[in-house]
Amino acid sequence: MILSAYTPSTGLQFVEHKPWITLDLGAWGILKAEYFLGLDGLSMPLVGLAVFVMLIATISSWTTVKDTKGYFILLLVLNAAIIGSFTALDFLLFYLFFEFMLLPMFFLIALWGGPRREYASIKFFLYTLFGSILILIVMIGLYISVHDPSESGRLVHTFNVMHMSDSTNFISGSILDPNSPWRIGIYNARQWAFLLLFIGFAIKLPAVPLHTWLPDAHVEAPTAISVVLAALLLKIGGYGLGRIVFPIFPDGAVHFGWFVGLVGVISIIYGGLNATSSKDLKRLIAYSSVSHMGFVLLGFASLTTEGIAGGIYQMFSHGIITSMLFLLAGVIYDRTSDRTISNYSGLSAKMPIYTAMVLVAFFASMGLPGFSGFIAEIMVFLGAFKSSSVQGPVTEILAVISTLGLIIGATYYLWTLQRMFFGPFNLKGNVAIEQVYDLTRREYIMLLPLAVATLFFGVYPQPLIGIIDPFAKHFAEFVLRTGQSLTLNP
Amino acid sequence: MTELSVSLEEITKGINSFIPELILSLGIMLLILLGLFKRISPSFLTLATLIISLLSAVFIVANWSVVAVPVRIFNGFLRADDFSSYLKVLFDISCAFTILMTWRRQDQQLRLSEYYTVILAVLLGAHLLSMSMNLIMVFISLELISIGSYILAGVSFSRKGSEGSFKYFLFGSTASAIMLYGFSFLYGFTGTLDFSSAAFANELVENHSRLLFVASLMALAGFFYKIAAAPLHLWSPDVYEAAPFPIIAFFSVVPKLAGIAILTRFTLALNAFGQTTNDWQFVLSLVAILSLTVGNFSALGQKNPKRLMAYSSIAQSGFLMVGIIAFVPQGIHYMLFYASVYMFANFLVFNYLQYFDSVGMETLPSFSGAGKTLVWPMILTLVGLITLTGLPPTSGFTAKLFIFSSLWESYQLTGKAILLWLLVFGLLNTVVSLFYYLSIPYYAFIKGGEKDIKTNNLTFENLFGAVLVVAILLLFFNPELLMGWINKINFVL
Repeated sequence: MILSAYTPSTGLQFVEHKPWITLDLGAWGILKAEYFLGLDGLSMPLVGLAVFVMLIATISSWTTVKDTKGYFILLLVLNAAIIGSFTALDFLLFYLFFEFMLLPMFFLIALWGGPRREYASIKFFLYTLFGSILILIVMIGLYISVHDPSESGRLVHTFNVMHMSDSTNFISGSILDPNSPWRIGIYNARQWAFLLLFIGFAIKLPAVPLHTWLPDAHVEAPTAISVVLAALLLKIGGYGLGRIVFPIFPDGAVHFGWFVGLVGVISIIYGGLNATSSKDLKRLIAYSSVSHMGFVLLGFASLTTEGIAGGIYQMFSHGIITSMLFLLAGVIYDRTSDRTISNYSGLSAKMPIYTAMVLVAFFASMGLPGFSGFIAEIMVFLGAFKSSSVQGPVTEILAVISTLGLIIGATYYLWTLQRMFFGPFNLKGNVAIEQVYDLTRREYIMLLPLAVATLFFGVYPQPLIGIIDPFAKHFAEFVLRTGQSLTLNP
Repeated sequence: MTELSVSLEEITKGINSFIPELILSLGIMLLILLGLFKRISPSFLTLATLIISLLSAVFIVANWSVVAVPVRIFNGFLRADDFSSYLKVLFDISCAFTILMTWRRQDQQLRLSEYYTVILAVLLGAHLLSMSMNLIMVFISLELISIGSYILAGVSFSRKGSEGSFKYFLFGSTASAIMLYGFSFLYGFTGTLDFSSAAFANELVENHSRLLFVASLMALAGFFYKIAAAPLHLWSPDVYEAAPFPIIAFFSVVPKLAGIAILTRFTLALNAFGQTTNDWQFVLSLVAILSLTVGNFSALGQKNPKRLMAYSSIAQSGFLMVGIIAFVPQGIHYMLFYASVYMFANFLVFNYLQYFDSVGMETLPSFSGAGKTLVWPMILTLVGLITLTGLPPTSGFTAKLFIFSSLWESYQLTGKAILLWLLVFGLLNTVVSLFYYLSIPYYAFIKGGEKDIKTNNLTFENLFGAVLVVAILLLFFNPELLMGWINKINFVL
């Protein structure tokens, strides 16, 4: 419904703007936090993705038997928090939704997860909470440093992200003011703030070396929760970079762009290598997520229209593909309670349609032309190669190295295909032959829409690009120009 | 003769802003008298105490306009202002909560009337301490709290209770002695007992003696002891373990906040508008960092919910101190907000811990599987624990956000590195605290196990818990409700 009413342009749409907390602090000014929601080219695809994936996740939870009521309550709370964080334009409100995802997710993993669920859920919780504390530090600093220009007379401290993104709204003399002389070590306050925020969101994304919670959480989480975790929660990290980190600290983005790009490339390569050596199918997919989210970082770091559009496209396409991958891993796990790759071979003989679905998902994830992953990655590469020619921070060498990621991706997917699905039919471990049967009707309903979506957006990307492009163009220009002007005239 | 009439006149002038304390004093006498009658039912005593504490709160709120302009009463010994009045309302409400918690176990409590009398005496001490402006008055009211607390700590009349009570007594009297020693030096240096007077401040500014610093530190030590700030926190886990639940809840709020109140006043006096050579901001920050770290890390390994909450309250003292340390008026407002939220959350948790204890869940492992049968109590406890951690959507988050923003502000003004460290430590400790605050729900929901407990959702505990949860959530979604009131508090020494 929202999709049909959305018109591509740079501005915000469906804005909902209501006062929430307005606190008069006497001589110190006024604290203002608002209930401020809106959609633009960055959030629109992600909200669309969230609705779609949550629907699929619900279908996949159909067979949940234990405490069904509690499970769906938590799933719905999670759903609300995810859509909330994709639409919030007030930092406090965003933070609120961001934190509010933690508890339902914690309980969903800890109560309905696999054998090592306690360890995994607490690790997930602590990592993410640590990240959000870093975000909180910067949020408080920003709120103290930024005033609302639309209010004249009184000093109004605001959490509005739109106001924070305008460097003229910083109160002169405050710590995060671009002219502030404050520094610790070699960086000034704004650069520190950028780094803290970046680390906070990089944990969520997750980028190497802060990714270690992800494989554990994925392996232990039930299928539907893995899907939500990979397809949506990781995107909040990328979304936070695009919504908060880069626009508010464009100077940091220009200064540390190479670093962000480097982390992205390391994630691509390291995630890929780890995936290659994974023995568990779900762990393989989890590491492939790390690798793919590296492309998002690289795309954003390039600060070019192509790169940023590619990054957003990658988030959307990864959301679809990875949902499909986790659902497929769930299909085999439902039947045999075993995900060890080496325990299977020649599955194509017994499960032809399943194998076809796996082929689609693997090829899409590999970035084969015709699937949405290809479009996303090619745009990221274009952006990364072009970056240095527009004084962007990413060098060609990084871009060249990142293309290796495609080869590694092909390696682990093709190798897995060969080991699990082709060759003579054989099962090892405690798997009985009668447990292996092809897809059921419910599984068709989950998998087919995803397969169609990834094909559709691979063959005809224009509807999505039309939404993203105006935003990406505006965003790239804004960040690059403001960032450079702030760096040159501090 | 004229001198007498002058002091009589002074007293009658002051009486007007002293009504809540008079109510409490009369209430104490009334309860002692009621205790003489054998045939009085426990419920009557409970009700009487409840009414007395609420009456005091109602009087303060009704007479709010009287304290809008601060008055010094009784020859400047006390100061009735809106800062102390706000805290006094908090004390009274906490006392009422304590009595409500006691109501569930009033039949097991021996010597009920004395028990209530002592609670009211401690409450009176807290009232007086929050108003004190004079070193003698500070000592008297602090001792009123302390002696009452020693008795209350042993009120379960068990071996463990007497041990805890005695420990408390030994530690407490040493701390009081040290504080008194510091006071006597301060008196010797300044020649005045009124720590808000100009003479006191002048001496602090002009005298650069190291001894003055040591003396002030000794005086502060007494307050640090009262609020259980590290390194003077050692008594609290033992005392908490020995005392009954309503008393722990009471200890963790009323004496602590009274200590925070006098700490606020006294450090502001010591600071002398920032003109002293001694950096009190640094000292307090150090104590706060220590409390946060020691409290949180010691709590990690605890298996007894009482000890766990004791360490949690040590850490919470650190957070409360952050509001004072900022040394900006806003910080003190935020500290009051934090204190109010802390009160609600603490009573919520203790209310349920008492309930869980009564059904035989005395250690953390015994909570295993309780999440399946005691669904609502566990969920409401979870809300309380999240509030103490400071996660949204609870007002614990709002409170933490507020006090840390005042710290940021203070850092921006002064640029002292210690404040940044405090900020970093405070926030990192939030992550640590999550670990143990979640341990109760962790055992209850995640660890498997069967509990054979008859459940009834319509108990008094659930009603009380639900009311507190509503208050906590309301303050999150609409902090103006309270901040609007707190912001009018005009804090001038």
